[in-house]
Amino acid sequence: MSLTDRYIDAVLRRLPNKQRAEIERELRASIADAMEDQSETEVLTELGDPAKLAAGYADRPLQLIGPRFYLDYTRVLSALLATIVPAVAAITGLIRALDAAPVGQIITGTLGAAFTTALHVVFWTTLAFAAIERLPDLQRELSKPWQLSDLPEPPSRKAKFAELVALTVVTVLTASLILLSPRLSWETDANGQPIGVLSPWLWETGMVYVFVAVASTGLLVAFARYYLKWTVPLTIVATLVDLAAPLLLIWLTVTDHVLNPAFVAAAGLSGGTVRVINIVLILTAIGTILSSVIEAFKRVRR
Amino acid sequence: MLEDELVAAHLQELRRGTVVLACLLVLREQNYGYALLDLLEKRGFGVDANTLYPLLRRLEKQGLLSSDWNTEEARPRKFYRTSEQGLELAAALTRDWDQLDAAFRTLKGEQ
Repeated sequence: MSLTDRYIDAVLRRLPNKQRAEIERELRASIADAMEDQSETEVLTELGDPAKLAAGYADRPLQLIGPRFYLDYTRVLSALLATIVPAVAAITGLIRALDAAPVGQIITGTLGAAFTTALHVVFWTTLAFAAIERLPDLQRELSKPWQLSDLPEPPSRKAKFAELVALTVVTVLTASLILLSPRLSWETDANGQPIGVLSPWLWETGMVYVFVAVASTGLLVAFARYYLKWTVPLTIVATLVDLAAPLLLIWLTVTDHVLNPAFVAAAGLSGGTVRVINIVLILTAIGTILSSVIEAFKRVRR
Repeated sequence: MLEDELVAAHLQELRRGTVVLACLLVLREQNYGYALLDLLEKRGFGVDANTLYPLLRRLEKQGLLSSDWNTEEARPRKFYRTSEQGLELAAALTRDWDQLDAAFRTLKGEQ
């Protein structure tokens, strides 16, 4: 088999069946013509990579995703990554936590699930867009011209201020209730002293003050957000502070340090009820984490 | 001093599309792939074989060129010729080229 035969084979292999005969005939003639002036090696070297020549004949794009769909691709990809990955991670973490797995296992399981999900999201999104790039009919359906109305709405300062006020009220109320809870309980012990809803462990270790401090810092950061100019470092710090309180809450719930066992006994709560309370607490924390992460993504993109 | 690479990139960008017009004009007289490559080179339109051959096929598919196999000589060759539609397109492209040329001259302050 000559070099020319091998070269032509390599080109034809990459072409649709019905085009092969014609292109082979033409290419053979052109190569033979050129070889009257140059050596076979020179001619074939000049023709270059057979895959590239075949792509030219078949009118195939030499890029995975072209400029027409690249922006849509990055938009879809980041939207999917920012929503699906944290959601799957949170659900995995929750299930492990409810199975009373050790903290180490909860963390590795959650990270593993997040990583696998991210890989899947990236792979399938890329595959879908690479397919669109190669299907002209679908392209016509999908490509919409950009319009001015697609511009994102500017955030309203008034609405943000209302959010800030609401956050302040909720934080102050929650912190007060937590700090006063040992004296506010309706269950009393043999001496008529109230039995706190929250675990005395929180006070013994000072954890309750840590929790209140973290929540207050969150409030402080919210004010900084409203009054200071936005920068990426500030967004990162704010997001980390936002995440601290719900993460702490999840850890306290998982390690069973939220409810006072004495209160549970006195109020006659069943194991099932305690479980439901724990799940509600964890879901609330996960909701907070999700909204913080989504908010941070929006900020960074602006 | 301009970098050669930069100049080459811009030249390539500027010349993209001119090969089509050159083909349509030169193929008013029928010709085959390798001879066309040579002829274009001589007329100042250097183009790579791996660009020209697929381009000829694409133009034929678009109805801008017609083709015929000549089997009379020792080696059968596919001869291309600019079609009616191809001539129309060549006229439109030439008009545009002339307008661009005039516009450039004005920009450069020539009359």
